[in-house]
Amino acid sequence: MSVYSFYIFDRHTECIYSRRFTQQPSPPRTTSSTLRNGTTVPPSLRQANKDSDDAKLVFGTVFSLRRMCRQLGGVDDQFLSYRTAEYKLHYLETPTQLRLVLLTSPQVGNMRTVLHQIWATLFVEYVVKSPLAPTEHTGGKGVGNELFEVGLERFMEAVFRPQQQQQQ
Amino acid sequence: MGRGTWGCRYELHSLLSLTLTQHPALLARQPSPTTNMVVFALLIINKAGGLIYTRTFAPGIQKLDSNDYLILAGTFHGIHAISRSINPAPPPPPSSSSTPNPSSSTTASQPAPQLPSQPPSSTAGNPTRRRPHTTGIESLESSHFRLTCFQSPTGVKFLLFTSPEQPNTDVVVRRCYEMYGNYVMKNPFYSLEMPIRVEKFDRVVAGYLVRP
Repeated sequence: MSVYSFYIFDRHTECIYSRRFTQQPSPPRTTSSTLRNGTTVPPSLRQANKDSDDAKLVFGTVFSLRRMCRQLGGVDDQFLSYRTAEYKLHYLETPTQLRLVLLTSPQVGNMRTVLHQIWATLFVEYVVKSPLAPTEHTGGKGVGNELFEVGLERFMEAVFRPQQQQQQ
Repeated sequence: MGRGTWGCRYELHSLLSLTLTQHPALLARQPSPTTNMVVFALLIINKAGGLIYTRTFAPGIQKLDSNDYLILAGTFHGIHAISRSINPAPPPPPSSSSTPNPSSSTTASQPAPQLPSQPPSSTAGNPTRRRPHTTGIESLESSHFRLTCFQSPTGVKFLLFTSPEQPNTDVVVRRCYEMYGNYVMKNPFYSLEMPIRVEKFDRVVAGYLVRP
């Protein structure tokens, strides 16, 4: 039961926030975590390109699957999640076409309430209500502020770590 | 007494008209974990992403015309391939054999800790490395249906659309794969990767997936 990564896409189909929770071991680079949002300078440019490619792939997948679900299930059908043998992808779309995507290990259950809580208690509180954040987060501007990052990390710890400790 | 039998008949008729399954007398044919199942549709996609079989069994998903199904199959084939490469899972901890994640072609390189001098993403060159098999989408949940995808070792994908509460969809889809092997593959007149026009297969699949 672990979380791998988390993305937020806005209604302009841009990735405004991405966060990776797993450590990618690689001797050539520093061992610090690869957490970043859209605006900070990454440790290596190649890693930044790979990350943005990942975000684009995730968005493309999610967009196509959502369209497929709409086509098959009717206009009110909502794509919820998909699972492969290695990971599970959870999706939530807010009425403002803000898309939250969470990638976890495959055994995790329904994360819809978790995503909704992240949106309501973290994003709305710390990003939308922040007087310094612009209305349109082009390039992720205004999203990765400290309150949001710290809040998100604490929230993920609270959701995922207790189960891990119980297992171990 | 007459009223009793008519009452029973009316009950039977109303049960039949309500759902496809449910009445125990009709299910007595073969006990299986898939009684009471509501399967909406079965799609079979060949190796190249082309649709070779479409069949709807129960109402539950929107009626699409054949062109839309073809487009859907192609789209899903592509998404399935992409979902293999956005694997975010970290590589498993190194044991006796190192197993780096093959999806590192799109993410940063992840050389196994035992071989730090190895150049990144050159997993194919080293014979001692075993690439773990990354799979694509196995199951997709939406609010109105669940899609179970089974990919055979030859690359043929079986998409099963069921209601979200349906249990044991992987058992059902494997049974469909068995039937495909028995009635389509063993048919000497069937050409590979072509649309399936085998009557026996249609009958057997309908018998299994539709409960009268």
